[in-house]
Amino acid sequence: MVRWKDEWTAYVLMLPAIIYVLYLAFIPALEAVYGSFHTASGELSTYNYRFVLSTFGTSPIINTFVVTASALLLQFTVAFMVASLLSKPFRGRGIFSAIFLIPFGVATIVTGVLFHDIFSTFGGYANTVLLDLHLKPVDWTGSYGTSLLVLILADSWKNTPIVTLVLLSGMVTIPSDLYAQAMVDGAGPISRFFHITVPNMLGFIAIALMIRGISEFNIFAMALLLFPHELLTTMTYALFDTVNAYPADAGATILLAFVLVFAALVMFMRSRQGKVSSNGK
Amino acid sequence: MVSEYKGPRSKYYFYIGGAIFSFIVLIPLYFLVIIAFASPSQTLGAYYPPLIPTKFTLDNLRAAFSGYGSILIAAFYKSLETAFIVASIAILLGFHAAYGLTKIPYRISNLILGLLFFSTMIPSLTIAIPISSTFIKIGLYDSALGLALAQELVVLPLTVFLITGSLESVPRTLEYQARVDGATFIQALYRVIFPLAVPGVVAAFLLSWLMSWDEFTFAVIISPVHPTLPILIYLESTARGNIFTGTVFALLVTIPVIILTIILSKFLRGSYMSAGITG
Repeated sequence: MVRWKDEWTAYVLMLPAIIYVLYLAFIPALEAVYGSFHTASGELSTYNYRFVLSTFGTSPIINTFVVTASALLLQFTVAFMVASLLSKPFRGRGIFSAIFLIPFGVATIVTGVLFHDIFSTFGGYANTVLLDLHLKPVDWTGSYGTSLLVLILADSWKNTPIVTLVLLSGMVTIPSDLYAQAMVDGAGPISRFFHITVPNMLGFIAIALMIRGISEFNIFAMALLLFPHELLTTMTYALFDTVNAYPADAGATILLAFVLVFAALVMFMRSRQGKVSSNGK
Repeated sequence: MVSEYKGPRSKYYFYIGGAIFSFIVLIPLYFLVIIAFASPSQTLGAYYPPLIPTKFTLDNLRAAFSGYGSILIAAFYKSLETAFIVASIAILLGFHAAYGLTKIPYRISNLILGLLFFSTMIPSLTIAIPISSTFIKIGLYDSALGLALAQELVVLPLTVFLITGSLESVPRTLEYQARVDGATFIQALYRVIFPLAVPGVVAAFLLSWLMSWDEFTFAVIISPVHPTLPILIYLESTARGNIFTGTVFALLVTIPVIILTIILSKFLRGSYMSAGITG
């Protein structure tokens, strides 16, 4: 129905957005990769990478993985619980879903400040609660494990709503007949979850993984406040220098490589899911 | 929906579950209010602050506004300005791109959407550094416009996507009728399609506004001299600043945004967010 002239108009309408993204995302990304392989005097070299590794070692990379994996695990667990709660009709569901969405709007840095206040060693509410329960107060920022826990809790508090939203929209697409049939066949809630809910939602799980996984690799503002150990992002930030940005470019390029590998893995998972569901139909 | 849950007894589990999760969501916000309004000796000034303070004061508020008045207002204004520029550009570029996407073969539109989303996969820090050096050269460094142009990258793909979703719900026949009646492509776009797409456009505007209000990474690198509110909060909450002031600022940032989120909750039914990606 569309005449060729209309189609050209359509391309013209899209052009500003495309040029914008190419100019402000792709070119700078290439510049960063290019810069990372050069020295301040413009010679081609791997100096920046050697500098990054000799200064920080591999711990920023390992820490980034640990933070990403544990944050995703907690967020998906809670999001599945909240989404299955909200997928059923009951009086007051609207109020609950509005409450659960609130952290989505609270700024990342505010969340960081809040959890910093709650878990501070002096004047922290977490320790008050522990004391009221006749337990020993904990030096939350003192060790790797506890500061990791605080970071994960803060990040999950802020970001679980978005995971819940995506999972919820997937959950409501599953026909309830499937569950009814499974129950007739004697499947319990856990087996229904793993044999019906999860396989039918792989596409939505992939979307949520993509959205959250990429931001998790990029976790920055909260980590600056809550995590006294280096991540790829905080390392890159520490290297950032307006005079010589090349070492920071190296850190940023490592981060970019990890994000792209992660995204490729998730897309692979999605494309396999696509095949499975088309076979099913 | 699911038959097993129709029994009246099991409904209690929903309220118990709902109450537990609501408590987890609300408790940090409770502390935010307490720290801002209770006497410092009963909050962060105490070794083990009481969970329910008894002495309240407006001193924290007063100190935050008197000592930092001009910086605070400047930061607030910069955040507002940036967020409005981001949201406006998002709608301007996003609406046209989204309409274009619905008019071309699916294969190509999918490719273009993929290209747009690929840009959000590039970490902000990776591109913030080259962008800031370009902005220094062309004089956009530390300006609200420059910051907005960078933040737009995070927002634009999502905006295109949200609006595409809402455009798909507009019946095609309306547009064809307008064309039969002699409207041009562009007239059909602004007179027929745009008014019908308003709910999606509003949702996209609010979401971009919200995301810009929250943005930290670009702001800390591209606009460090005249900070936005998130950066100001960060500076106040670290060792150099006054943590009470930081908390008051945090509360100030949070109130408008919670109201916005509740408005948005009507639009943000995940299906919107994922409709296009699954397609």
